[in-house]
Amino acid sequence: MSATETAETITNFILDAPPGELQDVITDIKALVGDDQDILNAIVPAVEKYNKEQLISTKLPGGSQLVIVSEHNKLPDGRFFDIGSQSSFDFDHTKLKASSVQSYVLESQNSDLIKSLLRDVEPHVKEHYPSLPAFGIYPVDKDSSIAIVIVGNKYSPSNYWNGRWRSTYIFTPSTSELTGTIQVDVHYYEDGNVRLLTMKPIQASLSSGSAAEIVKNIIGVEKKYQEELNRAFGALSEGAFKGLRRQLPITRQKIDWDKIGSYRLGQDIGGGRAVQR
Amino acid sequence: MASQDPFDSALDLLRRLNPKHTANNVGALINLVPDLTEDLLSSVDQPLQVQRCKKTGRDYLLCDYNRDGDSYRSPWSNEFDPPLTDGTIPSEKVRKMEIAANDAFDIYRELEANRYYEGGVSSVYFWNLDDGFAGVVLLKKSVSSTNKSTGSWDSIHVFEAIDRARTAHYKLTSTVILNMISGDESLGEMDLSGNMTRQVEQDLPVEDDSSHIANIGKLVEDMELKMRNLLQEVYFGKAKDVVGDLRSIISLTEHKKDRSVHQEMISSMTKR
Repeated sequence: MSATETAETITNFILDAPPGELQDVITDIKALVGDDQDILNAIVPAVEKYNKEQLISTKLPGGSQLVIVSEHNKLPDGRFFDIGSQSSFDFDHTKLKASSVQSYVLESQNSDLIKSLLRDVEPHVKEHYPSLPAFGIYPVDKDSSIAIVIVGNKYSPSNYWNGRWRSTYIFTPSTSELTGTIQVDVHYYEDGNVRLLTMKPIQASLSSGSAAEIVKNIIGVEKKYQEELNRAFGALSEGAFKGLRRQLPITRQKIDWDKIGSYRLGQDIGGGRAVQR
Repeated sequence: MASQDPFDSALDLLRRLNPKHTANNVGALINLVPDLTEDLLSSVDQPLQVQRCKKTGRDYLLCDYNRDGDSYRSPWSNEFDPPLTDGTIPSEKVRKMEIAANDAFDIYRELEANRYYEGGVSSVYFWNLDDGFAGVVLLKKSVSSTNKSTGSWDSIHVFEAIDRARTAHYKLTSTVILNMISGDESLGEMDLSGNMTRQVEQDLPVEDDSSHIANIGKLVEDMELKMRNLLQEVYFGKAKDVVGDLRSIISLTEHKKDRSVHQEMISSMTKR
């Protein structure tokens, strides 16, 4: 296998890692292919991509709030910024540690709206994300739009499950368009491997485009989506799942195997009866 | 880390990565570590492929246990496709039981008043062991319902039956691969997929060969009932609960209020 193919395979494995299990995946990869420089050179960029896609959150040294690492708050020099804490920081993607915190001053034509959003999104996140909540508001697309990013994680490896909820919205003041995605990822792996992966695109046209209107919209969209998702669990359970295999036969009694076994084996199977049915 | 057995690492990796990608990931692992090829192909369960028996026109299921080289043996004709003159087939005695087991699981699957699957495909393959025999019971069903969802169920029950005096010792390892997809405008895409494995060992009385069919039937039926309940709990209970742990539909303040009202009710009731 060529070095490029190996790097590609490693990248695919890493990007497929369930919430909270990236280190386990990396440990497995190293046990399979070693950890020489070529391998590490493949792992590092894949992990950075994974962290940004998955909206990995971390605490700044001395800070109490979680800040997010994403494509939307990356600086040209590879550092990340956070408006809420007015900081920029280095991030070690493999150790998941922030360091070298410096003050960061927001410069944006939308800075008033961004500050209002920071104020208005916070109570929503506090009220609806019970576990490891984090959010960030960032100017994006050459300061023409604003990214609103929310993430909640729950890790329970001792019970063999982990989960992540990610909401990403882009609001463009010039058009008052709100677009985005909500993604849920749940992994259950006790004597098995079960994964829930969802993706819901969001698109809405707002009227005033005020922070209050944007947040009200996000609250409505998320509530509606979660109710829809809960209904879908019920519909799959009552629909597709029941259609695949019944819990009991139509007679509601288990099969009389003694009868079936002897009846079938007692028949003459010579002459290929079974093949001419 | 270097002491970690590569096969264990590969299995751990497959248990973590998206179960929908298992077939691709097995292929990638084999390219990465060719030494693991045989172990991975014989121990990682993948969704079953269906093939039509050229001689009988009946569908049968493909797995590593009815494969010889690039050919697969039909349980209906006992012949390989593409044809093999020296393909491995069970002894006459075990083949007789295999035919009976295929008939029995047809009944289990869709015949008479039983119909656990109301359709689908089943295949049973047996092979000889020095001190008994072994086999695999395969069941597959797919649904594509009109209300925006599709699903597939693959059961793979591998067993050994070791002869003892008037009894046999059965060891059964069962995997169910259950994949479901739902989606429309308001839901977006929802993929709820994966697999679960369980094992059971039991000694059961054996009078003649037909006892084996009945014993295996009972073991598989009980296991499938157990696993269906387990899958129901994990897919529609646990997964949904975790989503609720990630995000709460009602606000946490309301949640606390509800809880304290509940507490008050309980304490006022206990005071009485």
